Amino acid sequence: MSVPAVAMRRWRRRHSWLALRYLAAICLTVIFLFPVYWLFMISFKTPDEIYHSPPVWYPASLQFANYAVLFKDGDVIAIWHSLVLAGVSTVLALFLGTIAAYSLARFRTGGENLAVWIISQRMIPPIAVVFPIFLLYVWLGWVDSYIGLILLYTAFNLPYVIWMMRGYIADVPMELEESALVDGCSRWRVLWRVVFPMVRAGLFATAVFTFVFAWNDFIFALVLTRTEVITFPVQVTHYFGGQSNFWAKIAAMSVLGTLPVFVAVTVMQRFLVRGISLGAVKG
Amino acid sequence: MAEVKIAGLHKRYGPVQAVRGVDLEIPEGEFTVLVGPSGCGKSTLLRSIAGLEEVDTGTIEIGGEVVNDMRPRDRDVAMVFQNYALYPYLTVFENIAFGLRARRTPQAEVAPRVQRAARMLGIDALLGRYPRQLSGGQRQRVAIGRAIVRNPRVFLFDEPLSNLDAQLRDEMRGEIKRLHQEIATTMIYVTHDQIEAMTLADRIVLMRDGRIEQQGAPLELFERPASLFVAGFLGSPRMNFLQGRLARSGEGFAIELGGGVPRLALPQERRLDGAADGAPIILGLRPEHVGRATGTPPPAGVARLEATIELVQPTGSRSYASFRLADQPLLAELQAHDVSGPGERITVDLNLPRATIFDPETGRAL
Amino acid sequence: MTAVDSGISRRSHGLNHRLSLAADRQFKYLIIAPAILVLLLIGLFPLIYSLVVSFQGLTMTEEDTSFAGFTNYARLFHDLRLWQALAHTAIITAVALPLELLLGLLMAQLFVDRMPGRQIFVALLVLPTVISPIVAGANWALLFDVRFGPITQILSFIAGQPVTILWTLNPYFVYPGILICEIWQWTPFMFLLLLAALSNVDQSQLEASEIDGASYWRKFFKIVLPAIWPVMTIACLIRALDLVRIFDIIWALTQGGPGTMSETISIYTYVQGFSDFETSYTAAIAFLVIVLLTAIVTFALKRMEIVR
Repeated sequence: MSVPAVAMRRWRRRHSWLALRYLAAICLTVIFLFPVYWLFMISFKTPDEIYHSPPVWYPASLQFANYAVLFKDGDVIAIWHSLVLAGVSTVLALFLGTIAAYSLARFRTGGENLAVWIISQRMIPPIAVVFPIFLLYVWLGWVDSYIGLILLYTAFNLPYVIWMMRGYIADVPMELEESALVDGCSRWRVLWRVVFPMVRAGLFATAVFTFVFAWNDFIFALVLTRTEVITFPVQVTHYFGGQSNFWAKIAAMSVLGTLPVFVAVTVMQRFLVRGISLGAVKG
Repeated sequence: MAEVKIAGLHKRYGPVQAVRGVDLEIPEGEFTVLVGPSGCGKSTLLRSIAGLEEVDTGTIEIGGEVVNDMRPRDRDVAMVFQNYALYPYLTVFENIAFGLRARRTPQAEVAPRVQRAARMLGIDALLGRYPRQLSGGQRQRVAIGRAIVRNPRVFLFDEPLSNLDAQLRDEMRGEIKRLHQEIATTMIYVTHDQIEAMTLADRIVLMRDGRIEQQGAPLELFERPASLFVAGFLGSPRMNFLQGRLARSGEGFAIELGGGVPRLALPQERRLDGAADGAPIILGLRPEHVGRATGTPPPAGVARLEATIELVQPTGSRSYASFRLADQPLLAELQAHDVSGPGERITVDLNLPRATIFDPETGRAL
Repeated sequence: MTAVDSGISRRSHGLNHRLSLAADRQFKYLIIAPAILVLLLIGLFPLIYSLVVSFQGLTMTEEDTSFAGFTNYARLFHDLRLWQALAHTAIITAVALPLELLLGLLMAQLFVDRMPGRQIFVALLVLPTVISPIVAGANWALLFDVRFGPITQILSFIAGQPVTILWTLNPYFVYPGILICEIWQWTPFMFLLLLAALSNVDQSQLEASEIDGASYWRKFFKIVLPAIWPVMTIACLIRALDLVRIFDIIWALTQGGPGTMSETISIYTYVQGFSDFETSYTAAIAFLVIVLLTAIVTFALKRMEIVR
């Protein structure tokens, strides 16, 4: 066979393989995204369309009525509560966690045992902890308050932050810190003016996952809030109920609660793998 | 500026003794180079002076005060690192000003001082740039600028030119020497490169295995090495080492190489302490002291021999010819065009007055 | 000796040798102290509290704080519902984990070779993992709804006749339902990690073996698998622990039902504490769970030498 013909065969074979992969990729994406699509669509449907049997695959037009209801009823405050709780606890965890990570990374404080203990705290099942915490908070009057949950989310996020930032700090060349020490910086100044700027990227990446964890938490919010502070996952469960679930509200609230997370993760995509795997994979 | 005194310094890293009992006195304003092979302890010594390492025993004095317990920033020293240690998120100006800001220098003073230092190093046009926009040589200048601007009493350099290519290194070497002449402050410089050591130092401190092998002016170490190690470390190509025996020859000594080579008579005045007749020795002779025979008869003390060239290595300005003497290799330095090639029979002069005799067991010069 | 002057040794000795003053020595403790204190809130306090309370006879109504010996712990052994809950948890973990691993691996293999637009696909596929598990559960409850959920519609279409499966109530379909939701949400997690791990496999090794004539399976088992093994183990550890703690998804779908059929250990503990108000007993369960998991995790971490 002539040379061009052989080359043509190879080209075709390689590209048909690629086409197959694209097909598979698209199928997978459709399968994984379909539920989310469905939820999304429900939030824009009219009650007729929602409860229609057989199901309506695409609404006649996009209705924002369901969202309007949430705003009118004031349920949307749950998003605000979640924002405050997740936001403040993230900042707190980042600060305390990074300086703790510095102690571990540069001074090996507490040796291997402390480090293992800290990381093992991430594995604590919330259910085992929530009950004593609940009773403690009752005693302190912290149930249904911002401070209670902020402290708890911070505590639960600290192992993760410490672990991740330890890795990022270790990547900073020690000479930068040594140079600063010789030039006249105190240790605090070195931390603040040299280390923090150098790990900026790592801070943002870790911030995203810390935020998402606090944002998505359910069990603590369920146990430790009543009426004053309701987070968005808890609010969603308020729409469950016996015979008829308020699907429209569930969908709308879910979409509102998912958008911030999706945006944050998309922005921080580069660090996705490193963040999820506790730094085990540099991605 | 200040003098630096080190007494009885010991430092270990776990099982490894990095510095074993070092005593060193560096007078004010002197440019001292700590040189030696990897792992000899020179960097550890430097970092101990800076305060970046804690020592086990011994004292470090700067300007008459003991600084062992002082924080690095209180010792008033400046350090230039091998990897420049520039802050990538700050401009060149802010990098240089970093130490001044840390010490809360008044704002009005900062700019002129930075400008002056930058001008001295020829980087004042780069003040607004970021480190990633600079070349290796420029970055190194910024690092030096950061040190200068603080007017410290001692400058410490930790292999600053190792990351530069050969040509840049030559250039920067000159710059650093010029700098020392201009600001005349005590400088302590660590390198593993013997050329840097020779060209920059007022005094060389050659270290090995945590101890000082020999210290002194560069030419002193070069011409009168105290040991085999020093002799072999300085000078490129390396000094020739020939094994032989001492033999009494009248009032003085001669070297017996064996292998049919006539005795090499050493000059009468040559004193050899502790030398015994028949003792094994090592004859050290630099290639530049082995050359084509000139003059008849040969100059006083010079030994003349016949030899067959085995290999020629031209370097442009010189050519190095290797041949064998008493079945031992010997390298001679010849003029560039003064040699034809392997197989050529040549008459060489060995400039024995410039030779050094070593005891093979202790390695020390006799 | 050579290591001493090199940067490597400097790194491994950290700044331990560089603390020139007592104040500096204190610094390292000072900056880690606040974090440790906060951590003790969840690390130490519940442990001690649970321990103490588990030896008492407290419920929400009875305030008897006298020492009740090991009654609560003894009760653990006889509590059938507890063991069922453990079994339920074990089933879910044992089924979900391998499936997530396998599917994740297959997906990763699909995407590991370069293809334009891969970034977009990956970004989209990650979505299930980052949404709240409650939302995930609610989402599937919606999909499974027998009256107007698309799943029923699709199944009916395939079967050719109306299908009425009550996924959240029918005992035969409760577990598949939960598992589908769980696997849907967390396979992308495995996929992401394994994709990164596969991307880091040494290409030159693969090429060399290809020249040597190795088959696909041989290459996989001898080269690829050992290379991705560390990441796989970490991923499995993280997933396994999360699966053992599973709560939100089940709560959103079945709330442990029907009856106690899908009650996992987390849900059971919650019920004991907040429905039945068995304070001391809950504490006993909690204590047991904490100790068990911490032991497993510590053992696993030390084995895997994650902490250098």
